[in-house]
Parts: sequence; structure tokens; C-alpha cells
Amino acid sequence: MTDTVPLRMTGASKWFGGFRAVDSLDMHVGEGRVVGFLGPNGAGKSTSLRMALGVLQPDTGTVELFNQAPNLKSLRRVGFLPEERGLYKKMSPRQIITYFARLKGLSHGRAKARADELLEMMGLTEFARSRVSRLSKGMAQKVQILSALAHRPEFLILDEPFSGLDPVNQQALEALIVEEHRQGATIIFSTHVMEHAERLCEQIVMMARGRKVFDGDLEQAFATLGRSVRIGVTDGFDLGATLRPLGFEAELEQDAWKVALPQGRGPQEVLRASIENGAPVTSFVADEARLRDVFVSLVSEAEAEDLTTTLADDAVKAKEAA
Amino acid sequence: MRSTLLVARRDYLGYVTAWGFWLGLLFTPVILGVFMLAPALAASSQPVRYFSVIEQGETFTKAIRSELDAQAARRARAALDPVAALQGGDSDLLAAFDTARDTGATVEDALSNVSGGTVQTTLYDFVEVSSPVSDPDRLAPYLSGDILLDTPEGPQELFAALVVSPGSDTIQYWSENLQSRALVDIARAAERKIAEDRIFAAAGVSSRLIDEARDARRDVVPQRLRSDPGQQASASEVTLRDRAPYVVSIALAFMLWFLVFSVINYLLMGTIEERSNKIFDSLLTSVKLPNLLAGKLLAVLCLSLTLVAFWTGGSIAITWIASSNLPPEVSEQATIILSAAARPDIVLPALISFLLGYLMYGSLFLALGSLCDTIQEAQTLMTPLIVMLMAPLFMLTFAINDAESSMIAIMSWVPVFTPFLLILRMPTDPPLWEVIGQLSLMAVATFAILYLATSVYRAGAVHGAGVGDVARFFKGILPGNGSKDS
Repeated sequence: MTDTVPLRMTGASKWFGGFRAVDSLDMHVGEGRVVGFLGPNGAGKSTSLRMALGVLQPDTGTVELFNQAPNLKSLRRVGFLPEERGLYKKMSPRQIITYFARLKGLSHGRAKARADELLEMMGLTEFARSRVSRLSKGMAQKVQILSALAHRPEFLILDEPFSGLDPVNQQALEALIVEEHRQGATIIFSTHVMEHAERLCEQIVMMARGRKVFDGDLEQAFATLGRSVRIGVTDGFDLGATLRPLGFEAELEQDAWKVALPQGRGPQEVLRASIENGAPVTSFVADEARLRDVFVSLVSEAEAEDLTTTLADDAVKAKEAA
Repeated sequence: MRSTLLVARRDYLGYVTAWGFWLGLLFTPVILGVFMLAPALAASSQPVRYFSVIEQGETFTKAIRSELDAQAARRARAALDPVAALQGGDSDLLAAFDTARDTGATVEDALSNVSGGTVQTTLYDFVEVSSPVSDPDRLAPYLSGDILLDTPEGPQELFAALVVSPGSDTIQYWSENLQSRALVDIARAAERKIAEDRIFAAAGVSSRLIDEARDARRDVVPQRLRSDPGQQASASEVTLRDRAPYVVSIALAFMLWFLVFSVINYLLMGTIEERSNKIFDSLLTSVKLPNLLAGKLLAVLCLSLTLVAFWTGGSIAITWIASSNLPPEVSEQATIILSAAARPDIVLPALISFLLGYLMYGSLFLALGSLCDTIQEAQTLMTPLIVMLMAPLFMLTFAINDAESSMIAIMSWVPVFTPFLLILRMPTDPPLWEVIGQLSLMAVATFAILYLATSVYRAGAVHGAGVGDVARFFKGILPGNGSKDS
């Protein structure tokens, strides 16, 4: 029996004229996972998500939503928050949530009841019958998120859900995502705010320049960065010379030695080796890896690679022209 | 289908709950009524104009007075009994008026006596007054309004002067108003009679014989062939019953044009709102694009039917309320017109034309709206469509004079004009193959436009194409501007 996979993209590419927006993207979002879809602006995140929803057709490769090409049946199991927020300004929040819930297949009565329930949950009952044009930007965004949740989707695709929200509302949205996940929903959200991804995600997919540069869990993400420790010793002691024969590279940075940890060797090991070899240790700090560092490292790498390729291509073209 | 209906329901409710819709619904008939009555109101509010004749003797002056009296008599008859006067028939009132005139009563007196003073109307547009000067060279200050005439109604401006010079083969018409030709026509008619009288008199024909000859002129009565050979010859005379289909077809064509013109704006505005509010992506994950388009078109179609229902219902209600006060002849004429409006050979093509015409223009405006973020952007693309939509309105004027005009026949083959022009041709019994051919061509064109509009809508809604892309497209197809992009 085949497992149901909320989203599987295989070699999906999208070109707009001469611009390659997404290049051979492979992505697998397993059931019940919370996936962070990260990348700088213009990395191809929104285009990938629009392909995932069938709004855009990939030029090459395939997209499967719940093991089938995206269609209205599979899309009924999906809730989508687009990057570009927009609502009918003359309608009330209640009318909008009801409308989108009905489009997703709910009956009129159930859609209305669900709209009331969601509005109450987000503290918007008071504004349920106000025109959207009279709501604040944050409130309108909440209404749009509720519209995506109205039909109790199994799979939530949220494109930059935190952008435009103040810290309080960002926290409320985080809580909402956690709650939806707790109830069994699969969630993928794009963002370039790493802290949200670190707190919420079990899987990270990173994009840069239309290409996937990382796909794995947080541990694997941190592993891509060389880990290090910082050791302070009394003046004059050459820790580098002490640790080099033991297989550790160390260099003096300001008032402490930065020791790179080889693969498979932990921070405790280097501390023990320093003390056992007579180093007068005054301080010891293991560098804490942050997703931001992973992101910057991978994206910079991809961009540098891209730049190199472009320059090489230009050089070949110039040569040919000559 | 369900999603189409849901989109249609939302859009429809959005339109009908806007106060602008109700404003249009209530005020459009009022504004149209004012436009229709405007010529009559303008004519009735036209001030009486004063003119003089400078001639030796009074021959021309009397002839022109006689022409003015004849015109006044026609107006008095029309005011006394509009229905009989319009049909060229007779009635007791008109007979009494003619008798009064024959006994020498003036037009005013005859009208006043017959109607008991209840009928008031403007009988004379022009009043002849004695010329303030005998030398035409001294007319200038009067014609320019620097010096006013002294009349029984107080000081008045001299509108025109007619100068009949002995020995000249022309009559000079002096006026500062270069546009108005009414008095010139009256003067020409007067001169024609004088010339006839003079020539016949020179030939020895007595004035009595000349009058008899004029009275003996036969009227030209339009006739038409009847399919029923058993009918009497007099039954071939063209009546209102024959003209009614033409009147109805012109009215229907105008109504169809007006409906299309008024409701397509809703489609344009609604689509611009959705594009500028970035709602497309949310919608497209819930509804297929063709269903979305169909829902939008259905919503505005229902909106136009709502307008028709209100206006028709209102007209019927007003007619019903007024019917008790209408003369039986008017009721009979209304029945004839309504019967023509119910003819299947007119109603059926009208319904098909409306549906296809609406789909054709509606989808074009939807596509246009999907490319624009603002009304200002839309205006740059709307001009060619508006010109295309205005052309049939001009053609209606040809149809009023001659529904069988070859221009109408030719232009009705152009699919974007067929919805309006085919209806105009229906009373002329065009060959069946032409009707079927034009309807088929219109249907094919409608589906082609729908397909094209869907593609443009997809480009606008999904890919964010805009006005700039349209400009680039047209630049690209211009010779020498071929795009190097794939």
C-alpha cells in the first residue's frame, strides 16, 4: 500500500521568458511534518509553492499533491495563504471566511459555523460583520489566515505567513501553527525569518537562485557548518602548537583561541586535551550553531557558485565572439 | 458547477448591495426619458422669432403668412387629436376645427373654439413684423441686436429679414443665425406657390383652377404585399401594424446595446478589484479558471436581467396605472407594438444576440480588467473597445431611415456588430441562410473571443501580466521589432 504524501515535487522547473525561476526542484513533504521553506527574496519559493498548488504548471518535472497531480479534489485538502495578501474589501470577515470555506466544499451552514468559531478563536468576533476595509492590516491578515483554515485542511501551505505581522500576532500565528500540527496537519511555510523555522520546523528546505541548496532536519543543517569552540588561556600560552599534534586546528582570534572541531569529535574532547597538555584554560565556550549561519553560508555558497558559472559562461561567449 | 454558482452568487450580491447599482437602476429610465423628451422640450421652449419682409407690394409677405398659417394649422390638429393626426385620419374634433377654419377663423381662434380653450400649444415659431427700415442696407443694427424691434410683445430682436428685390432672380435671406434653416424652407415653399400662380396665370389658368389643381393632388399611400390573397386591396395599405416590427427592432437593438454597455463596466471594475486586492491566487486554488470566468459572467448576466426585470416591470406597472386614462386608440397602438415585440422571429434572434453579444463583450472586458491594477490603466486599453461598441449605435440611425440599407446588411456580417444589427434586419425578412449564417458566425466568434479572453485572463491573473506586457506584445508584432526572446 502506498503512503499518502501531501507533496512531492520531482525535477520541477519553471522559466519565465529567459529567466529560470525554479531549477529541477525535488521536494518531499511527508504527512504530519512541519517544513520550513527558506530562501532569500527571489529564490523561487513562491513560484515553487504556486507550482505545488497547480496555479502554475512546471515546464519540466512533476508535482504531486496527495499522490496525484494538483486538482480541485486534492486542493480541497489544502489550505493556502498566498504571499500577496488580498481580500474583498467590501465584504465582512465572516462573509469572506464563509465564502472560501464554501468554495472548498463546506455547506452554507457548516461554513458559517466554522467562520464564527475561527473568529472567536482569534478574538475577532467583534469585527465579524465589519467591512474588511475598516480592519487594521494585522486583523485583515488574520482573516486571510482563517480563510485558509476554514475547511480544516490536512495540508497547510503558507507563503510568508509572518510578514507584516507585529511580534504579538507573530506569536499568535506560531501558536496556531503548533495547534494545527498537533491536530495532525502537515504544514509547509516559506519565510526568511530563521527564528520561526528553528522553533517550528522538523524539516528545512532551502532555496537560492531557483535551486534547492539544502533539504533535511535541523541537525543536518547545523552539520553543514564547521563547528568550533573558543578557549581562553593565560597570556603567552601557544594553544595552537599544543593541539596541532592531537589533530585540532586552532587560531588566535582577539583574546581567545578558536578551535575547529573535526567531524566526529566533540567540544568535551578538545577541552580535555587542552587541560591534559597543561594549557592554563581561563574560559571555554562552545559556539552555538544558528540556522541563520547555515542559511547565510549555503546561500552565499550557491550565489558564489552561480556567479562563477555566469562569469565562466560569459568568458566562453566572449571567447567565441572573438 | 457549484463553484461557478458560488462565484456568481458572491459577485451578484456584491453588485446589487452597492448603492451605485440602485442609483443606476432608478435614475437610468429618468435620464433616458429626459433625453427622449429633450427635443420636444427644446422645441416647445424655443422662443418665437421675429422676421420682416422687405418688398414692393405684399405678394411674398402674404404667401409666407399663408405658409406659416398652414404650419400652425397642422400643429393645432396634432394638439387636438394626436392619434388621428398622426394616422392621417379624421375625427369629430378635427372636422370641427377644419370647419371653423373654412369659415374664416384664425388658427388660434379655431383651436380655442373647438377645444374650449383647454388645448395650449405653440403654433407659430416665426412671427412676421413690419420691417423697421425700407432700405436693406440699414438692417445691420437690427440683425445684430443693437436696435430692438417694437412689437406688441415688447422690444424684440430681429431674427431674419427677407429681401425681395424687383428684377432679381433670388430672394435674399439675412440672419445672424447661420444654422437654422426653418424660415428658409418656409420662404422657399411660399416662393414655389407664387411662381406656380404666376406661371399658370400667364398661361391663362384661373386662380380657381389652380386651387382645384392643388386640391386634386393625389396622396401617395405606402402599400405592401400581403401573403393572404383573399384580403381586400385596401388591406395592403401600410399601417402601424406593419411598421411596429421596425420600431420594436430598433428599440430592442438600442436596449441590448445599452444593457451591454452599462453592465460590462461591472465586469471590468470587479476584475480590477480582484487583481489589485491580490485575490486571484486564493481563488484559483479553489476554483478552476474557466469556472471563475463563467461565474463572473453569470453574475453580471443576472445583474442585467435584474435591470431588465425592474425596468420592464416598472413600465408595465406604469402602463397599467395609466391605462384607465388613455384613449382607446392609444391603448390599441400600444397593443400593436407589444404584439410585435412578442414575435418569435424578432424575440428569438434578439435573445440569442443578447446572450452572445454579452458573452463577447463581457469576456473582452474581463480580460482587460485582469491586466489592470487601476482604472487609469484600464482606460488606456478601453478606447478601442469603446469605439467598437459605439459603432452599432451610429448604425442605428441608418436603420431608422432604411432597415434594408446595404450598409446594415454588410456590417451585420461583422461578428462584433451582429448582436445589434441582426435584430434591426429581422423585420425586413432577410433570407434564412443569412440569419443562420450570421448567428453561426457570431457564435463561432464568441467562442473564439472567450478562448482568447481566457488566455489573456490567465496571463493577467496567474502570471501577473499587465498593461506594459500588452504594449510589448504590440511592439513585438510591429515590423522590425521582432523580439529575440523565446
